[in-house]
Amino acid sequence: MIGTQEESARRAARLLRWYPATWRARYGDEFAELLIAEFAEQPRSWRRAADVARSGLVARLTRAGLTGHQPQPAEQVRAGLATAACALAAFGAPGIAMWAQLTIGWAWTPPGTVGATIAMAAMTAAVLLLAVLALLAVVPLSWSAACSLRRRPARRALRGRALLALAGAVVLAVGSHHFQNAWPGTGAHPWAGHGLVPAGVAALGWAATLWVSAYWAHPAALAAFPAAEIAWMAVSPAALIAAVAGVAGLVRRLDLSVRMLRYEAWLAGGAAAAMAVFLAGACCWVLAPGSGSGLFHAGTIDVASLAVMVLALTMARRAAGLARKAAPGSRPR
Amino acid sequence: MMAMAKRSGGDEAPGAGALGGFGRYAGPATLILSSLADGAKHGYALTKDVEAFSGVRLAPGTLYEALSRLEGQGLIEALESQDRRRPYRLTAAGATALRAHLDDQRRVADVGLRRLASNWGTS
Repeated sequence: MIGTQEESARRAARLLRWYPATWRARYGDEFAELLIAEFAEQPRSWRRAADVARSGLVARLTRAGLTGHQPQPAEQVRAGLATAACALAAFGAPGIAMWAQLTIGWAWTPPGTVGATIAMAAMTAAVLLLAVLALLAVVPLSWSAACSLRRRPARRALRGRALLALAGAVVLAVGSHHFQNAWPGTGAHPWAGHGLVPAGVAALGWAATLWVSAYWAHPAALAAFPAAEIAWMAVSPAALIAAVAGVAGLVRRLDLSVRMLRYEAWLAGGAAAAMAVFLAGACCWVLAPGSGSGLFHAGTIDVASLAVMVLALTMARRAAGLARKAAPGSRPR
Repeated sequence: MMAMAKRSGGDEAPGAGALGGFGRYAGPATLILSSLADGAKHGYALTKDVEAFSGVRLAPGTLYEALSRLEGQGLIEALESQDRRRPYRLTAAGATALRAHLDDQRRVADVGLRRLASNWGTS
């Protein structure tokens, strides 16, 4: 009997893993008790397991601000902003890798196809807009974080996230700067500067996203890379994840004013629009017939990148839209 | 349901039509609120009571999804936990919302039954 109870408790604990930690902290014990009572009545049920899995995923989406069911509007906005930041990072990594490839190509020679030319113009405009929006979002957030860190009650909750964000950003910036001259067509190359943006900027983007590469599928070719570059390909995504997780954690925990929440939600909406422009440009290049040759050639990794970007944009649009709708003082639509 | 809640809007009491925003959870929410109208209950007791009066067996995930939303909306509240089981009870806002929702449902049922009677006879 005791063995059966223990087994039931273990099964309930396994099913509870579908839910986010905050949900488990609030409802975990009572939900486990309900499941154990249900197991005693009906030991096996795939419908029940499927219902728990579905409900757990909904709880995770709600926690991420993607369902609009957060009880507090401010919490909904903060969750939406944190998710939009994560989606922007997921979009930015393959996007910048793609854009850097094209801008480096243009430093050597202008693109030979209309698709690549339109793509370059749209993607560059979107990158510029995203950089401005990110700056407009990060500066006041950093100020709020710095002010909150000076106050003792909030310090403990924020310090870890702030350090994580800072460490990730510093590693990414220093590492990208170190590796940006590894590409022979940029940096101090005499032909550099013929492109749409300064070659150094393109090289920085290339170095920061070196890990977005088809070489992972070709270990023999990857092994020929310098050891430091392979190490950077492993460290840089970890640094990006750390930076974004830190920022998302800060956004979730910062006690932002109503005006600030509205402002940040508006910027998130703008970022989603800029991402859509970037994606349109990327589609022009990847999906246009005969996407080009040499550095302008679109490969399988670029098609996979498009899929990731579509998913990230969908998430960002949803999160930003719900955040704007929930922002205190926003007009109901 | 949303349309009905709006139509009866003018003289609504606070909390009325609150279930309109529950979408596909309006069904489980109505069943839960109706069960709690009889007194506080924990998860398993709620499941059994709902099954007894409606014939609907609420799956655990669906039940707690609706409970957390109802609690978030202030329509129910959690009581002190008893041996890892936490009872829930209806709030005043929940009672108002349930009454308004059931009134709406009754209006629909009355219209449907009247039309059935006049066009299909009584059976």
